[in-house]
Amino acid sequence: MGNLILQLFKGLNFSVRIFFLTLLFSLPFGFVVAKGRMSKIAPVRWFTDLYIQIMRGTPLILQLLFFYFAPFYIFHASYDRFFAVILAYVLNYSAYFAEIYRSGLQSMDKGQYEASQVLGFTKAYTFFHVILPQVFKKILPSVGNEVVTLVKDTSLASTLGIAELFRVAQTSSSRVFSTTPIFIAGVFYFIMNYVVAKFFDIVERKLDYYE
Amino acid sequence: MSDIMINAQNVMKSFGDTEVLKDISFTLEKGHVLSIIGPSGSGKSTLLRILTQLETADGGSLDLVGKPLFKNVNGKAVYESAEKRRELNLKTGLVFQNFNLFPHFSVLRNITEAQRAVLKRSKDEAESKAIDLLKKMNLEDKANSYPCELSGGQKQRVSIARALAMDPEILFFDEPTSALDPELTLEVLKVIRGLAEEKMTMVVVTHEMNFAKGSSDEALFMDGGVIVEKGNPTELFDNPKEERLRRFLNTFNS
Ligand SMILES: Nc1ncnc2c1ncn2[C@@H]1O[C@H](COP(=O)(O)OP(=O)(O)OP(=O)(O)O)[C@@H](O)[C@H]1O
Ligand SMILES: [Mg+2]
Repeated sequence: MGNLILQLFKGLNFSVRIFFLTLLFSLPFGFVVAKGRMSKIAPVRWFTDLYIQIMRGTPLILQLLFFYFAPFYIFHASYDRFFAVILAYVLNYSAYFAEIYRSGLQSMDKGQYEASQVLGFTKAYTFFHVILPQVFKKILPSVGNEVVTLVKDTSLASTLGIAELFRVAQTSSSRVFSTTPIFIAGVFYFIMNYVVAKFFDIVERKLDYYE
Repeated sequence: MSDIMINAQNVMKSFGDTEVLKDISFTLEKGHVLSIIGPSGSGKSTLLRILTQLETADGGSLDLVGKPLFKNVNGKAVYESAEKRRELNLKTGLVFQNFNLFPHFSVLRNITEAQRAVLKRSKDEAESKAIDLLKKMNLEDKANSYPCELSGGQKQRVSIARALAMDPEILFFDEPTSALDPELTLEVLKVIRGLAEEKMTMVVVTHEMNFAKGSSDEALFMDGGVIVEKGNPTELFDNPKEERLRRFLNTFNS
């Protein structure tokens, strides 16, 4: 039993790494994508739109397989599985975050920009001190939903044989002919998402002082 | 000799194919209050937005506080350098119909933010200026409130304080009371009248005909992108020469 828990914790370690690495890159990269989606240059807009449509319109599990096997078949080169996994997750989640950012930015009242301009704020100052804080508050619930989904989505990395929580639970299960490992893994996922939800709850409440 | 604070000559502006301002010329002296009246869509806001640099004019020339913002070159408006535009931007303030306060900042910070970020005033200096203005607006107890906790009239007074904190030489108002309930309109107009007594140079786009008639030094009636009639407000309201103005004023009396 102790050994099983130890194994599951090792798997959990992988899941948590996928989780944080994905957020680390996709949260900022999503912003770049959102900017591209709103670009004045039409081809940039079309290209980013296509990218977003593909990422959101096809299953993540398929994208994982694609990012791992495509370089192998096309260039006869293979690379680290873990890298392929992170790449797929980052590209996928960036598309979702981009759409959230875009709707947040576009929902901003243009009066906020105008008031800032008349008062003499620079564009950068306006963005960071006037627009961003308000957009942040507005999109927080949607970002929270995506992050909760990501916790569960990390289990898809098992498709590429990454020994994350779900895969460890699954192999242990078949080895000991018991569903206990799967059940424990479920509890782990639940706890992680409980923490995530609480975290977003606290931040949202901290920002509750206006509007 | 009186200083001319605004000198607009043949200002023109189109959006696509629609000419919104056709040939706008007027001047305004220091310490005077100009009311702009006119039906919806006549171009009042567009004119104010050109004066405050939220829009760019297509033609004509404009001097603010004796300095050019744009000049007429072969019928086209040619703007001054970014540096000079910014200098003039800091000499003008604008009060919006729907306030456009920063909802995530306290009342105090709404008034101090630009003083600190743009004018580089110290925190103490900016705050004491803000408190003085809040006192003047009768809102000193609201310094730590957030805009969402204020009535419309209070919000508008905060936004006037926010504009005044930058020490503008000309203050523009675009229908400052149109978003307010009638009983809140008076408290805002009272503040604007107070500023007029202090000889603040102001341009007020308004549908408050009593204010335009009673509290301004000059009035200007716009329709269809042109100034149809301008002059002394009493004269304009009691003795309208133009048929269009007469009809416009009648819609308020009925
Ligand atoms: N950004 C824009 N793009 C296209 N048309 C515009 C734009 N801004 C204003 N207009 C048009 O210009 C004309 C004048 O608008 P403006 O807002 O200046 O009128 P107004 O006199 O302020 O009217 P109101 O009393 O309703 O505020 C209107 O026909 C309006 O539709
Ligand atoms: Mg208007």
